[in-house]
Order: sequence, then C-alpha cells, then structure tokens
Amino acid sequence: MVEKNRKHLTRRGFLKASGAAGAALGSAGLFFHGIQSGRNPASYTGWKTREGGDQTFNRKRFAVDSPTYEKAGEGQRVDARSGVVFSRLPGLMRYWRENRGMEGLPEYLQLYYKEHPEDFDLDLYNYRELFPKMRSDAVRYGDAFLLAEAWSHAMSAVQVEPISEPPEIADFPGRRRGFMGGDPQKPLKMKTPQKTSRLIKKIAHELGSTLVGVTRLNPDWVYSHPMRGRGLDPDEYLEVPKHWEYAIVVGTPMSWDPMYANPNYGTSEDAYSISRIVAFRLCAFIKRLGYAARPHYPGTSYDLMVPPIMVDAGIGEQARNSVVITPELGMNFRAAVVTTNLPMMPDKPIDFGVQSFCETCKVCAEQCPSGAITMGGKEVIRGYRRWHLHAAKCYNFWNSNLGNMGCRLCVAVCPYTRKSNWVHRAALHVTANDPTGLSHHALTRMQKVFYPGPDPQDYFMPSLGGKNASYRPPPWWLRTEDFIEL
Amino acid sequence: MFFTSGLFWFIEGILACVVIVGLKVWAEDRSVSMPWWKIGLIVLWWAWAGFTAAFIGTSIGEGEPHAALMGGIVFTVPAIVAAVLLWRFLGPGKSGKRPEPRS
Repeated sequence: MVEKNRKHLTRRGFLKASGAAGAALGSAGLFFHGIQSGRNPASYTGWKTREGGDQTFNRKRFAVDSPTYEKAGEGQRVDARSGVVFSRLPGLMRYWRENRGMEGLPEYLQLYYKEHPEDFDLDLYNYRELFPKMRSDAVRYGDAFLLAEAWSHAMSAVQVEPISEPPEIADFPGRRRGFMGGDPQKPLKMKTPQKTSRLIKKIAHELGSTLVGVTRLNPDWVYSHPMRGRGLDPDEYLEVPKHWEYAIVVGTPMSWDPMYANPNYGTSEDAYSISRIVAFRLCAFIKRLGYAARPHYPGTSYDLMVPPIMVDAGIGEQARNSVVITPELGMNFRAAVVTTNLPMMPDKPIDFGVQSFCETCKVCAEQCPSGAITMGGKEVIRGYRRWHLHAAKCYNFWNSNLGNMGCRLCVAVCPYTRKSNWVHRAALHVTANDPTGLSHHALTRMQKVFYPGPDPQDYFMPSLGGKNASYRPPPWWLRTEDFIEL
Repeated sequence: MFFTSGLFWFIEGILACVVIVGLKVWAEDRSVSMPWWKIGLIVLWWAWAGFTAAFIGTSIGEGEPHAALMGGIVFTVPAIVAAVLLWRFLGPGKSGKRPEPRS
C-alpha cells in the first residue's frame, strides 16, 4: 500500500497534478474575481470624487482643437421662454387656462408654435390628457414607487437660495473678503492661468464634483431670453455680460443602481443636489478671490445651455440624444456651470469616438418610448450640425409613466453608461482607440444581444397600454413591497 | 474583497507559474515538443478561457444574468472548440497513442 502511494507521489507526478490544480484554481479565481469586480463598490464611479480619483480618463491623448459638433452657419441663441420645454409648457398652461386661445398667447409662444405646429399639439396633449391620466394611474398603481419617491424627495430637500438679482449685482463679491491679507476692493493677482485652472479643479473635486472642466464661454450658448427666477426679466433680451468670460463645468453621477431602474425608480435629484451645492460653493470660493462668479444649476436655474459647454470644456461629446457622454460616467452625469472672469487656462475638447459610435449604435433611439430621439442623421440646428432631440415628445413621456419625475431611460441604456469594472473599461478603451469603427459595430451588436431591455411600449403606464416597466429591476432598498404593508 | 485585492493577483501569479511547470513536465513525459508557437497558442487559449470565466462572473456580479448567459454561450463554445483543436493539433491527441511516461 505504501509502495503504491509512493508511486503516485513521484516529483513529476506531483508537479503535473499541481499544474492541473493550479489551472482549475486559477480559472475559478478569475470567475470569483469577476463576481467581486461586478459587485465592487469601487466600480460605482463617483465614490473617490474628493481626491479627483474618478476623473481618470487620459483626456490629453484625445484632445482636439475644435469641438466634435460642427458649426454650419451663424449661431442663434435659444429663447428659453419657448425653446425650453420646462418654460414653454407652464407658459402655455397659464394662458390656456384663461381661455384666450392661440391669439391670447404671448407673441413669443405664437411665433414658436407657428414654426413648430407639432409641438403645439404635443404640449396641449400633455397638459389636457396626460396629466389627468397620470394622476389617476398614480392612485391605482403608484404604490410600488413610494420608496423611490420618498428617496427622491429626500434628495431634493436641501435647496439653495434662488438668485434674485441680475448678473451685474449678484455675480460680484461683496465689499468684505474676509480678514486675511490683500486689498479687499481688488481681485487677488493670480500667478498664472494654468495654476489657477489646476487650483479651481482641485477645489471643485474637494467640494464634491466628480468631473470638472474649464472653457471660454461661447456666447451662442447663452439664452437670448432667460428663464424665470434668475433675477432677470425673461421678456428682455439678455446681453451676455462681459464678465462671463469663462465657464467651469462641474457635476456628479446619479446613484447607479436606481439609475438603471429608470424610467421610474431613478431620480435626478441626487446628482442635482450635489451639483448645485458644488456650484454655489465654487462661486463663493471665486468671489473670495475677488472675482465675479455666477452659478447655473439644476433643475431649471440656468441662463445658458449646458451640453455644448461640457463639450467645449472637454468633459465629453454630445450624443445622439443630445446628452453628453463622458468617458468615466457615460451619460450618468448631472452638471452645473459657473461663469466667471477669473482667468484660467481652458481645457481642450475631446474626441474619443462618440460621434462614430452613436452613428452605429442607436440603442437609445430604439429604446426611447416617446420616439423623441432621431434614428436619422444630424441636422443643422441654430447654426450647428448635431442630432435632433424632439424635446416635446420627450417631455410628454415624463407624464406617461409612473414613479419619479422624468425618464432618464436613454441614460440607462447607453452602452457608455456603465460602471467602472474591467469589462466596460476595456470596451471604452477599444472604442476610443479604434479609428476603423469596426469595434463600434461589434460592441453595438454585443450591447443589443447581451444587455437587452423591455419592449419600449412596456415603459408606459397601464392606462396608455404599458406595464410601468423599468430597464433593470430596482435595487433592494427601493422595493416598497419589501418594507411597507400595502 | 479578497478576489479584487493585490494578494489575489499574487496568488494567481504563483498558480500561473505552477501551471507552466506542470505543463512542461507533462509535455516532457509524453515526448510532446513544445516550441514557442505552441506555448503561444496555449497562452492565448488560456487567456480566452480566463476572460470567459471572468466575464461570466462579472456579469453575474453586476446583476446582468442575461449577459452572463450570453457570454457563457458566445465565449465558452469557441473556447471548447479551440481546446479540442489544440489537443488534436499540438500533439497528444494527434495519434491517440500515449508514450510511456518518464519516471
């Protein structure tokens, strides 16, 4: 017996057996490494924000001299009163309630609806039919979203004081600048714009911004007529103030797991809340240095359009659905902007392949229940060539499903909106470095086969023939039925 | 999180060394020649198999069972086919005859 055992335990036999065991253990180890990588909290990009540890993409390698949108004529500024659906619809409702008809609408709305007759029907449908339907569906089917709604409400509980004065007053620092040195009447002399940029980015990260970028402000992005509640008269043409020389973009991701459970369990309020607080704090910091600063922040307190400023600042590229795709967070990013006269070194825009990828992919357009995202090519819009988003259709869907306000489905389904594990990082680097575009086709195919979503019709609320579906199931902590007796 | 730690990769490295030594001994015992290109093909196959295991695990971990299933089908089937071809092509499975092992 002993002899037999010895025969089996020769040195060479042991080495071979060890090799086989090593192969099995190594493979099993990789499998379990995968499981932990998938669950790892470190893959929830945003958790290392304060040390700048989430802005990890090497943007310098992909820097370009011109932004990836194309200028195709004279730029036209947007009239926020009619061009922004959040301003237009309340305007329509206010005047429509008074039964004044089309002629009773203010001139800017009449003009807008004359140019966009489809939007008039869509806006009216939203106001007259969708709102009441949503309310009655919420009573019948809304229980499932009680926790999600409470969570969103909690995230929006801390608000900032609205800006009540025009830029020439609100943006400038007060007389006192603290007790430390320097002439309190003069801006501090900064050493170089490069150093100032570096400082501001570090401060923005410390304040809680996951991504930050700096650009010179293109006046085309400023609204010709501003939104309400900004210390400006919406009916007066807004001359771009001279001190809005630079724009700093800051922002944070929405919580990852609820975001995948859109259009109903997720909320924008978590990222909104952090981004607006960062913007206000950054303004306070800049004003302490003696320079002008003005925050433009979510939900609807902007004097300008944010996506093209993000593109200019090298944060990302504008996608098929008009939202900006960033390398680190995909579209899972809610931004605020600070306009200032603090001299800084602007960042360069980046080109990491999004235009080509979006040309192929179209996942967002296929999944969008409202049909707001075009399946076609780019168009010239206000002097710039880009994909068109039909905002009125998009906004109508916000009132066509239950759960939290908004939709964010295009954010959730985008192949770039993935957590930071090795699978998705590898895919990002392949697409960013592939000049042929072949990988875009392959990865798009994989996205559709590996990560399919429900039928778009299922995202609607029951009275509109849907099932209140979400792209992915809600996280355990938003499942109302597991915590509350219904 | 042991499986994402540095210690895990250290142990994986040791296991890789053990596998290489075991493979070398196994090849010698069966008089299978191991030129660089055969070793290259085996390493490629090993990387593919490791990628497959890690992809399936990651997809399960991040709550994408469908991706794990599809990855299991799309990546595992070629891995098995490649394993059979390698076995036949690289020596031991070619003749079906096993040489006497070295003592």
